[in-house]
Amino acid sequence: MKETYETKIEQLRQIIEKIDDGNTGLDESMMLYEQGAVLVKQCEVLLTEAELKITTLSRDA
Amino acid sequence: MDWFNRPDVAVVVENAPLRVSELSAIIECLLDNPLLQDILVRGEVTNYTHHSRGHRYFSLSEKGGGNTAAVIKCVMWRSDADRLSFNPSEGMEIIVTGTVRAYAPHGSYQLQVKEMRKAGVGEKFLLIEQWKKQLAIEGCFSLERKRVLPAFPARIGVVTSETGAVIHDIRTVVGRRYPLEIIISPTAVQGEEAHQEIACAITRLAGKVDVVIIARGGGSFEDLFPFNHPDVVRAIVACPVPVVSAIGHEVDITLSDLAADLRAATPSAAAELVVPDRMVLTARLQELKSRLNTALKDRVATAQDELCDLRDRLRPQRFYRKIEERKQNIADLSERLERSFSNRLVHERLILAEMKTALDSRSPVAVLSRGFCVAEKNGAIVRSAGTIEKGDSMKIRFYDGSSQVVVERVDHERNL
Repeated sequence: MKETYETKIEQLRQIIEKIDDGNTGLDESMMLYEQGAVLVKQCEVLLTEAELKITTLSRDA
Repeated sequence: MDWFNRPDVAVVVENAPLRVSELSAIIECLLDNPLLQDILVRGEVTNYTHHSRGHRYFSLSEKGGGNTAAVIKCVMWRSDADRLSFNPSEGMEIIVTGTVRAYAPHGSYQLQVKEMRKAGVGEKFLLIEQWKKQLAIEGCFSLERKRVLPAFPARIGVVTSETGAVIHDIRTVVGRRYPLEIIISPTAVQGEEAHQEIACAITRLAGKVDVVIIARGGGSFEDLFPFNHPDVVRAIVACPVPVVSAIGHEVDITLSDLAADLRAATPSAAAELVVPDRMVLTARLQELKSRLNTALKDRVATAQDELCDLRDRLRPQRFYRKIEERKQNIADLSERLERSFSNRLVHERLILAEMKTALDSRSPVAVLSRGFCVAEKNGAIVRSAGTIEKGDSMKIRFYDGSSQVVVERVDHERNL
């Protein structure tokens, strides 16, 4: 999981709030929606492609 | 009853006997002495009984020269006994913490035991107490120091033994909830030198991970002892990322647990605290996704409403008003046109009348009325006899009519 998952989710929330806000223009809302859809996709990928990886540090280091 | 501050009464009943309850009260008062409160006592367990209600009754004895030199009755109430990490048994050498109390119904005094540990570990226990005080002064256990775990760690570090159930449990939980990179910093977890190894293992993870789990399975007080060492505690405090501890069983609290940012009951619980659950995240993401869709749909619906509204406002009122304005314009223009046209007409009529008068004065009709007539051939006026010949048909115009004639003869002037 990357640190970016958190930021992506936060961006997504902001986009939704912005679209919900009546002051955002329709054109801008559509643009925001497209950005939001990309973020959702990226987050889904982050969630589904997570892999368990085990590393053992050397005791001498 | 206060006997001592009432000398007048004391005089009267000088030799009156005390009641037993009064004597007991006096003894109880005498026992209420700081020397007998919260004291450490060492001795051997005898007459041990584990009561069905959970209370423990026993005696602490000290042997001297073949005979028992001293003995004291002890009781440990269930609430305190539940915290015991071992089962006391006959002949066991223990150190207890407790307070001496008189028990009037039995006419005896007893030690009410709060804590109990095996005597072999007594020195170590005292050492822990000293360390705890020192480390507390250093601020190692202060709550302000506690850090919040990262919501989405990329890598987690695990300080534990390479072998054993602990690392297996952590791997299983992390793999199930959210697979990510686990960096194991292996170390011995018990033994004389273990504290140094544990401290090194913690330090080694600095900069490599987002959160650290320090874990060890259950064990005896001695087994867990390295986790009380100041080296380990200070390494936890110095760790640049939050530390979660899961050392021994839940009842065993080491100084490492106190210094950690968060304490978990078991290694599995530590893993659950450290990584989020992918199922939960997926569900939340789906929720955000549907909120995003709804938000856009709503926005489009709002835009459509606005558009309808604008269209309605545009159509009946403003549009018709414009048409009315233009109609009025046209009417105005047409009126102006008519007026100017009729003016012009009057003017032209006047000119025409003048011209008619002028024309009338020059009219050929006037000439004709004096007895002249005009001959026309094929619509053209005949001005010369040279242009006609016998047989031509001509029209003769008089002032009041005309006649059609045929030329019988043409006489030219020069021929006359």
